[in-house]
Amino acid sequence: MSRILVVDDELAIQRLVSAVLARDGHAAVVVGTARAALAEIDRLAPDAAIIDLGLPDRDGLELIAAMRSRLSIPMLVLSARDATSEKIAALDLGADDYVTKPFDGDELLARLRSALRRAGAAPARDAVVRHKGIAVDRGRHKVSMDGRDIALTPREFAVLAALVEAGGRVLTHGAILERVWGRAHVGDVEYLRIVIRALRLKLEIDPSQPLLIRNEPGIGYRMGG
Amino acid sequence: MRRAGLLRDYAIAAATVAAVTVATLHWPGTLGLPSAALLLLLPVLLVSARGGIGPSLFAAAAAALAYNFFLLPPQFTLRIHGADNAVSFIVLFAVALVTSRLATALKARERQAQQEAQASAETAKLAALMSGQEDLNAALAKGLVFIEGRQGATRIVSREAMPKDDPAFGPLDLSAAAWAIHNGDMAGHGTNIFPSADWTFLPLGQRGAADVDVVAVARPLQGTRPPPGALRAQVALLAQTRDRLILQEERRERRMLEERDTLRRTLIASLAHDFRSPVTVLRGELEALRLESPAADRALAQAQRLSRKMDDLIGIARIEGGAVRPAPEPVDLVDVVTGALEASGAATAELRIARHVAADLPLVSADPVLLRHVLINLIDNAARHARAMIGIAADEGRGSVVLTVTDDGPGIPEGEEEAIFDRFVRLEGSDRSGGSGLGLAIVKGFCQAMDIDVQASTRASGGACFTLTFPVFGATPS
Repeated sequence: MSRILVVDDELAIQRLVSAVLARDGHAAVVVGTARAALAEIDRLAPDAAIIDLGLPDRDGLELIAAMRSRLSIPMLVLSARDATSEKIAALDLGADDYVTKPFDGDELLARLRSALRRAGAAPARDAVVRHKGIAVDRGRHKVSMDGRDIALTPREFAVLAALVEAGGRVLTHGAILERVWGRAHVGDVEYLRIVIRALRLKLEIDPSQPLLIRNEPGIGYRMGG
Repeated sequence: MRRAGLLRDYAIAAATVAAVTVATLHWPGTLGLPSAALLLLLPVLLVSARGGIGPSLFAAAAAALAYNFFLLPPQFTLRIHGADNAVSFIVLFAVALVTSRLATALKARERQAQQEAQASAETAKLAALMSGQEDLNAALAKGLVFIEGRQGATRIVSREAMPKDDPAFGPLDLSAAAWAIHNGDMAGHGTNIFPSADWTFLPLGQRGAADVDVVAVARPLQGTRPPPGALRAQVALLAQTRDRLILQEERRERRMLEERDTLRRTLIASLAHDFRSPVTVLRGELEALRLESPAADRALAQAQRLSRKMDDLIGIARIEGGAVRPAPEPVDLVDVVTGALEASGAATAELRIARHVAADLPLVSADPVLLRHVLINLIDNAARHARAMIGIAADEGRGSVVLTVTDDGPGIPEGEEEAIFDRFVRLEGSDRSGGSGLGLAIVKGFCQAMDIDVQASTRASGGACFTLTFPVFGATPS
């Protein structure tokens, strides 16, 4: 269905990821180095990329930044590095999502699907963006759920709009805080926590077992699928 | 030597006064009294310039008496007639006195300057000796030998062990030593503190810094020590050298520790990577095979368990290596509990989960990634011991939030509530299936790193209860 660039130097992982991608009908194009990846992207024109961080010639974070400056395709990080700081760095440099090894094949495919869906959708020009039953009307600053209007404060609206626009993609705490509160408040995670709570109280069926707004520990939030 | 010199000065004083008197008496022609008085000043000046207050005063007195007796009318009596005569007598005496004082002070200053120059030359010599030293003990030994050669026997008195049994030190010396150690200033012989002690004690550290080791220098066998400035400077130099070498040593040790730390971190990181990659492949391949064979499904479950154990092993390595660096942030327990329960899905599939975590609890301060690992391990542990149910509940306490993970299993044997957190402890009778013995050790290690209190107990109804007590996150957002 889609052509996916896989950047990983380990043969066994290359084969495994190719096999997993084949389950969803994707064609994997495998390269082992960052240099090869950069040399090939123009010719290959992939629909998405899956990138390991521990590459032999360059750090994967550098590759992400270099690729993001040239392409707008979805990029997923697939790495054995599980430090929170690395995940945040990858996301802030332009990666769309992050999966740690050992990974679940189905999870990788689901994340890839969500990233491709978002990339394929017309750039969110419409006034109304949707996720599941939630409709966020950016023109009129209104939110409805299953047709029922929901009253939100301006901050709640802004946070929800950011998450819904991102689809299932994870947004880092810093990214949301900067967009909604401004650069000065990038470190004030508690502001965000309080607003997320308020949103859950208004949107979730059981706010103590949230399904819609999901937390990635130490990293950020995403809309649940 | 000095005594002979002094006698000679007195003799000179007497002789010159006599000579001038005789010369004045036999002056050809007539000499006025004022001129005679001026002439008599000469021997006083001469003797004063040689120094010594005694001979100078003697010369002044002798000159005044000679003037009075031989020259002032009435001659050959000590009586004085007339105001003029009285004035010239008094002035003669006063001039003699002042001149001798001035000359003596000048001499003393000269001698002092000489001593100081000598002392600073000595100190410079010691400084040169010390600057080349790299070994602490050798440097101190050399420095003490240097001082010993010039000032008298030396010892080092440690601030930790007073030399009570050393016969060289009397009770007064010990008191002086204690004072010097406590106040960081010199005491004993040659100072104002315990001056009658037999030793001088000088702090081996910054001046005024209390509780330092001191250097003891014995009082000279004869006479008293010259002013202790030079000695103080030399001991200060020793102290400086000691501080420098200790600092050097600390720096070297720190560098070594840092290198070891880096090595350890690299090892843990590569350990993680080297294990994760093969397990990833294993899991992936089994996942693909699962559709065809039930054996692959069972193997996959084991591969998943293996990767959980691997995380535990890496976690323990991080705790052991001191590589756990929590990054606390305000955390919503709803998030952590939800995430941990999802991650433990397979282990808890057949159990009922009673979950009471209100959505409006205060935020707690914790590292969300470490806390997630802690909760997964507690849930995993509960799942292995529970018969039918696991409970997860959070409550607000006084300035804290308390989270409990409970099960309806056999509970924790009495007296084992602490030991259960030790590594590789699997309590007898309570171990039904495959705990690594690391899970609870990680719980304890991570909680300690995050300043979260963790306790194990047995509930009244039986079954184990693990209690985490969190500090509430401080600030309330606007």
